[in-house]
Amino acid sequence: MGSPCLVLSKAGRASAQKQLEVAAAEAWRIEAKYSRYLAGNIVHRINSADGAVVETDEETANLIDFSAALYRMSDRRFDITSGVLREVWRFDGSDRVPQEEEVRRVLQRVGWQKAVWKRPMLTLQRGMEVDFGGIGKEYAVDRAAALVAAECEAPCLLNFGGDIVAAGCATKDTAWRVGIESPGATSAVPCKRIELKRGGLATSGDSRRFLLKNGIRYSHLLNPLTGWPVLDAPRSVTVAADTCTQAGMLSTLAMLMGEDAENFLQQQSLRFWCIRQ
Amino acid sequence: MSKKTTGNIAKGLATATCTLLGTAAAAPVSAEEQPEWEFDTALLFYGEDAGRVQDLSLNIFARRLFADERILSVGLAVDSLTGATPSGAVPQNEVQTFTRPSGESVYSVGSGELPLDDTFLDTRYALTAGWQQPLGRDYKASAGVSFSTEYDYTHIGTNFGLSRDFNKRNTTVSLGLALARDELDPVGGAPVPLSAMADVGMISGRDSSTSKDVADLLLGVTQVINERLLVQFNYSLSTASGYLNDPYKILSIVDPISGEAVGRTPAPGLEGPLHEYRFESRPDKRTKHSLFGQGKYWLGGKVLDLSYRFMTDDWGIDSHTLDTKLNLPMGETSYLEPHVRLYTQSEADFYRVSLLDGEAMPLFASADYRLGSFNAVTAGLKYGWQTGSGHDVAVRLEYYRQDGDIPSDQLTGNQDSASLYPGLNAVIFNISYGFGK
Repeated sequence: MGSPCLVLSKAGRASAQKQLEVAAAEAWRIEAKYSRYLAGNIVHRINSADGAVVETDEETANLIDFSAALYRMSDRRFDITSGVLREVWRFDGSDRVPQEEEVRRVLQRVGWQKAVWKRPMLTLQRGMEVDFGGIGKEYAVDRAAALVAAECEAPCLLNFGGDIVAAGCATKDTAWRVGIESPGATSAVPCKRIELKRGGLATSGDSRRFLLKNGIRYSHLLNPLTGWPVLDAPRSVTVAADTCTQAGMLSTLAMLMGEDAENFLQQQSLRFWCIRQ
Repeated sequence: MSKKTTGNIAKGLATATCTLLGTAAAAPVSAEEQPEWEFDTALLFYGEDAGRVQDLSLNIFARRLFADERILSVGLAVDSLTGATPSGAVPQNEVQTFTRPSGESVYSVGSGELPLDDTFLDTRYALTAGWQQPLGRDYKASAGVSFSTEYDYTHIGTNFGLSRDFNKRNTTVSLGLALARDELDPVGGAPVPLSAMADVGMISGRDSSTSKDVADLLLGVTQVINERLLVQFNYSLSTASGYLNDPYKILSIVDPISGEAVGRTPAPGLEGPLHEYRFESRPDKRTKHSLFGQGKYWLGGKVLDLSYRFMTDDWGIDSHTLDTKLNLPMGETSYLEPHVRLYTQSEADFYRVSLLDGEAMPLFASADYRLGSFNAVTAGLKYGWQTGSGHDVAVRLEYYRQDGDIPSDQLTGNQDSASLYPGLNAVIFNISYGFGK
């Protein structure tokens, strides 16, 4: 997952150990299957198909269906084919903003509408790639939470790199206290504190990944329609929803809305916390 | 671009998520933002035996957390003091009469009784406010002000702090500076040091207002040794200058042979003291150095907190404080914490149990028991628990005992150490309640 994963449990030692093992196994399974850095997995097979059709398994097909639905719901802002933009955008804090021509060229390989998806068959145009990085951690933590809850009813909190689920049987006294870090935080003092009894919590932020040129801060959030960073996005958006997947998609979409982030979130009738300073 | 058309997608997203995760609709989320203000409140009772000081104190401390780790803190304390403290005069086998600090009347103390004075006791209000924020990635800065007032005393102070983390935040070096100015308006004015206690209506020529300036400098290092041990070392330097006397403290003048208080006769028609007393005289500067070391050790759930402080000052007082607490968890939401503190100090160079009749008056002299040589023990127990709604409650009961002795070369005639040092017993009861955390 590229980040620390944590399981907190109120179960007894033996049950907690079992919960931890189940959660870790699921995290590693999803990491192995969907990491774009590992050769031989389904993502690698799709991305190296070179225009050929690839047959996907049940789980991958579900993820693709979900991504396709989100692509429609988000007016094409959420796009699992946008990852190739990273070839020209490297958010290393430098001032290396790519040329418009470079961006235009790579943008030709972006756009879910160019893919042919007839479940379970996926055909990408040559040079296109998919990346489940925008869903992976949220999906993994929700899956792991379901398995952990099936293992033992004791309240349990799973935190996969900031994507959080409170699982198990919540009682009046078992709220988990979750702190939201200040964007660019230097220590562990939270700027917001949330009591989570049940459900998912996800935070999207532009943290320290950005480019700075001529006084303009280019956030690492790229608009797949233009190939350019989203302007005026909040520094951090946290959303609470029934599942972490929902929370994560809504916080990501809010960031992609730029200056309209708060408007968008208000329309969803969910608890959210937006930090702009 | 159609920014506004996205609209409410929460419902569609919920359906898609159910399909993805292969579950029925998830149970609804329950997430509440905790209040941004957090409060610590405490009610403290401190009571000394034998009609001496009783203090009932209410403390409220609030913190507001802002983005980027900026923290505002505000504190309010109200103290209600009653009772009396030893005036410095030594007990006699006859009645002693004293002029009140106001100079308007007299009060008497029975034979064999410890002379007590109740002038300083009143209600005290204190306010503090502070701001803390990071400076860049590694530094943290703080600034604060403090103010307190009671009927004869006003304190105004300011403090600054800067700390820097090193070594992956395992080491923190901190620097602190505090400056204060205290104004004292003693009842009846500030007596001339070593002047005699006069008859009723005969006090004059006193300063109505006096002040002192206090500066404190602190250098500290906190180090994480390993996952079980955290240590801290501090050096602090404190200087005070200005009026450092206690305007209500006096010394008896005793006969150099018998050790008994020298008598006097008030002027005809006036009430006044029946023995000779002098107001105390302290230097107008004091410099203290103190070294402090603390270790917090995690013993598989239990936490041992051990600290030691050495203080030395240019008044000749050296003190040692050993403090230990052991936090014992009792189940998941409560704990028991025994506490023992041992304290010892040597007397100030100018500490005098009494002055001798006929001797050349020393430059400085004080019989204030707090400047004498004494040992003190505090022992107590704290029980803390978390309420169902997540609030922290703790009750603490402690016993304090202070015993002192008079240097043998100061004992004159029939004076004996055991009855002259006004030792004390006190109980401390504290209830604290924290919420919003």
